[in-house]
Amino acid sequence: MVAKELIEARWKLFGGALLATLIATLTDFTYSNTREMLNSAAASQQPGSIRDYMVQMTSSFDTFIWNSWFSLSNNGGLVMVVLAVILGAGLIAGEVSKGSIFLLLSKPLSRERVLLTKYVVSAAILFAVVLFGSLVLLLVAALQGHPQNTLGMLISDLLFWFALLFALGLATLFSVIFSDVLRPLALALVVLLLVALPGFVPGWQALSLPSYWTSLPAYLGQSFPLKEFAVALVAAALPLAAAVLLFRKQQY
Amino acid sequence: MSTTTAIKQEALPVTSEAAAIEINNLVVSYGDKRAVDGLSLSVPIGSVYGFLGPNGAGKTTTIKTLLGFRQPNGGSAKVLGYDIVTQSLALRARVGYVSEVNSMYDYLTIPQMADFCRATSLRWDQSAVDRYLKMFGLPLKARVKQLSKGMKSQLAFSLAMGSQPDLLILDEPTSGLDPIARHDLLNQLVGEVAAGGTTVFFSSHILSEVEAVADWVGIINAGKLVISSELDQLKSSQKVLKLIYAEAPPPAEIDALRALPGAVRVDQEGRSVRITVHGDVNTLSQLVQARPYALRDAEIVDLNLEDIFLEYMKEGGNGR
Repeated sequence: MVAKELIEARWKLFGGALLATLIATLTDFTYSNTREMLNSAAASQQPGSIRDYMVQMTSSFDTFIWNSWFSLSNNGGLVMVVLAVILGAGLIAGEVSKGSIFLLLSKPLSRERVLLTKYVVSAAILFAVVLFGSLVLLLVAALQGHPQNTLGMLISDLLFWFALLFALGLATLFSVIFSDVLRPLALALVVLLLVALPGFVPGWQALSLPSYWTSLPAYLGQSFPLKEFAVALVAAALPLAAAVLLFRKQQY
Repeated sequence: MSTTTAIKQEALPVTSEAAAIEINNLVVSYGDKRAVDGLSLSVPIGSVYGFLGPNGAGKTTTIKTLLGFRQPNGGSAKVLGYDIVTQSLALRARVGYVSEVNSMYDYLTIPQMADFCRATSLRWDQSAVDRYLKMFGLPLKARVKQLSKGMKSQLAFSLAMGSQPDLLILDEPTSGLDPIARHDLLNQLVGEVAAGGTTVFFSSHILSEVEAVADWVGIINAGKLVISSELDQLKSSQKVLKLIYAEAPPPAEIDALRALPGAVRVDQEGRSVRITVHGDVNTLSQLVQARPYALRDAEIVDLNLEDIFLEYMKEGGNGR
């Protein structure tokens, strides 16, 4: 079953890896351009808050890489989240819409095993893509003369992967509920947006899940994000547990 | 043996099944609508059982419930002695299933499909699969998406046989197939499989194919069992007596014919009267000929399965 899942997801894996490579490479190369842009006349006309953010973001190469790669509001993070949602949305709904769910459920496998096998394969694909992207990022940064903290990168990758597991679990949950792939995809993205909203309200950052999915001190090797890991782990487990419970009862 | 299977073969609970399928007062609902409404049915071990009914009668829902895709709302059922709710895993380890839609994984090649089925089955006989694939002449290196609908049915059947099932459940297996593919699938394979001792339970609304291969039939309508019987017994117990009168009999005589023992249905068209008989048709024929209306001809006609099916559907429609 694992082989079948890998064959099914192979284009998503290749596509994700390709995009990750592209974004990682571009991220490394855009640092100097972004700094130059900050000094331009156009940047001086930007509102203060945006300019402050850009200054903070480009204060060092490491900060810039962390912001660009691990922030869910930037290219690297967004692409990975969308990949996670695409993988999760088709997990069960894809089987139902194609009718192959009947073949799958006619086998002597428990529904929990079916769902978890599919989930674990998708989670492994996400981890591989995140790790691959980070390796490219490290390599290009080293070639540019900006060696990064490898351990910090690895810890941040793990934390970021937990964020992706939340997105994957959420899309999987909706994939169990609906019989088409489009609705799980759209709903998971909407819920992800909703859980990020408190982060935009001053004083509510602690209620925003994305604030736990990235940690600059961890990336810089200054501290271990234990609290962040705990929150991210619980957040990732909840939608998955709900999906398993629902799938067990679902009628086909 | 696969490492992905949830149960080990030696862990399968031992059952002392008396019937391959035993359904008691099964109720399955979709919202307020009862798709299966108090169905009771027994499928003998080793039989080829044709499960008949018009579209929407509840055939597919019954099969889905037996295999655990749906939970029953009432009643109980056992398959190979296993309870369909509490022992579904053990049950599925011994049952082969070919679905109505034959949806497999288009992106897999035939060997990859076989690998997937082997990995998810408790028992596997690759030589049986290879034999069936060869018999059908399926292109072994092709992806599933490159196969015609008939080929997909043949592949689904071949793979279902790989798990060495004690019971093979086929849900409208020939739906959409051309006559040759249908003939190949049913006459050659069901015959061969049944000869090997496997019980075959297949739903269909193509009556000629059921009649060709089944030795037992069950007819379901509106979620209820209309009849379940050995096919030969069913056919021998039901005949039609065709009468041609010298003059059209009056309505009182038609009513009198309806009251005769064994007459379950009487249709009149002018001088011609058709009596559907359950039971001893010869005695009924003698009774009719002894009545005071002159007959030009009286003929006893065997019913084929289609006639029997239509009779039962008409009876159901008439509230009988």
